[in-house]
Amino acid sequence: MSAFLALIRAAFRREAEHRSRNIIRILGGLVEILARISIWQAAFGAHPSLYGITLSQMITYALIGGTVLSSWDATMIVRDVGATIRTGAIGSSLLRPVGYPLMLLAEQLGVRFFDWLLVSAPVIVIMGLIYGIEPPASLGHALLFLGHVVVSLAILMTTAILIGLLSFWVFDAHSLEWFMRGLLAVLSGGLVPIWFFPSGFAQVAHALPFSWITYQPMAVYLGERDLAASALSLAAGSGWAVVLGLGVAFVWSRACGQVVVQGG
Amino acid sequence: MRETLSLLVYLVRLRVRTRLEFRASLVIAWVAQAFGYAGVFTQIWLILTRFENVGGWTWPQMALLLGFHTLGYALGACFTLVQLRRMEEIVLGGEFDTLLVRPLNPWAYLVFSGFNIEYGGHVVLGAGLIAWALPQLSIVWTPEALVLFGGGLVSAALITASMITIIGACAMLLGRARYLFGIYFDFWELSRYPASIFAAPFQIALLSVIPLAYMAYVPVSVLLARPVPYLGAAAEMAALAAGPLSVIVAAAFWRFCLDRYQGGGG
Repeated sequence: MSAFLALIRAAFRREAEHRSRNIIRILGGLVEILARISIWQAAFGAHPSLYGITLSQMITYALIGGTVLSSWDATMIVRDVGATIRTGAIGSSLLRPVGYPLMLLAEQLGVRFFDWLLVSAPVIVIMGLIYGIEPPASLGHALLFLGHVVVSLAILMTTAILIGLLSFWVFDAHSLEWFMRGLLAVLSGGLVPIWFFPSGFAQVAHALPFSWITYQPMAVYLGERDLAASALSLAAGSGWAVVLGLGVAFVWSRACGQVVVQGG
Repeated sequence: MRETLSLLVYLVRLRVRTRLEFRASLVIAWVAQAFGYAGVFTQIWLILTRFENVGGWTWPQMALLLGFHTLGYALGACFTLVQLRRMEEIVLGGEFDTLLVRPLNPWAYLVFSGFNIEYGGHVVLGAGLIAWALPQLSIVWTPEALVLFGGGLVSAALITASMITIIGACAMLLGRARYLFGIYFDFWELSRYPASIFAAPFQIALLSVIPLAYMAYVPVSVLLARPVPYLGAAAEMAALAAGPLSVIVAAAFWRFCLDRYQGGGG
């Protein structure tokens, strides 16, 4: 456990070293959120609410969904795994005291925590002051939202690690990364909440775990479902996280058999 | 000059032949990248099917905008992105010093020897969206409109190549410059939407210092006879001129950085 925490701390510190890059990331975050808010403002036009959703709710969705619950950076895990395999660094990774998937998880958690604290938070504060941000629907919804954030992180990370580990067989992490981007862009509800999807499409999105990355937490935050339904959603999301975690363990056990270290 | 051109063509041929050695991987990369973009475009389609328009733009109009943007970007990026995104490593690893002593312009060598044919997916998706959208739009195809369509695509490719060159050149001065591509892509993503939906300062930025609005929004607006803020009747000429002008700026900036380059390797 101490090694796991040490890896998280190391990744956090590594991110903090690049100050210019972090300023650019904040600027980039502001631009991205501005784009999302502008799209919803243009879509709503002069109507303060459409289809039972207010513009203010959509701005909040864009602000929190596009920062804290964004899926974009997770595709980097796939790239990292691909590079580790391609360069042969996987050989030395196997010698470390923490299993490779756990090491990946710890490093990505460090990056994510840094991102939340020093990129997402300033972006939310700045854009929230300009455009306004809605509070959680109730204290209960706020607590369940926090639970959903943990589930979102778990599902995002395990999905990315699972897809990344496929590089052991397909050797083309770049393509896997693009597939993951396309998949998550739509099915996580990252930009467009699933309540705006056509019904058939929405049913498919609801049946898959990816909606817990952005859509389900935001639906809870905005009070689009009652506390009982939110708790049920949290339980279902946790179930998906466990299933994906078991999937990672299984694929990793198979992937280890694929590794042949040559030279030294 | 003729020898240089034939050498550049030879470098491109070498690169293409190398990449074609792994054809299955290439096709998978095309499909994967097209899938990634299709995911993003599906989100925009979902908004437009539900809300009917965004800032007055309907789905066929947006499809033309997205197709134009994707195709123009692919044509410029195949010559520049992967090659110049590596400038940081090239400079810090000392490889750039070796390029400077070759009897060929280092930019030309990097760009042509790294010509990337992985943009097939972008091209098919972009051209497909344009082909789907055009019959549904009432564009009057005068010779002027045809010139704007073809010239606008070339201009979009030149803007892409220029901006990537400018960011890559920063590595000669700063050493670490790869992170600057992040902010480029953030603005680049803005430019796939109609600039008119953004706040005035961003519209002005996209039409001036970060000229990404000329990649698709300005030429497509003119084709669709939609008004372009701040440019008015000059929009058509501006769409065609933006690419060549950005090339001049990029060439001057590359030269500026090269003159001040003092070696970054160890």
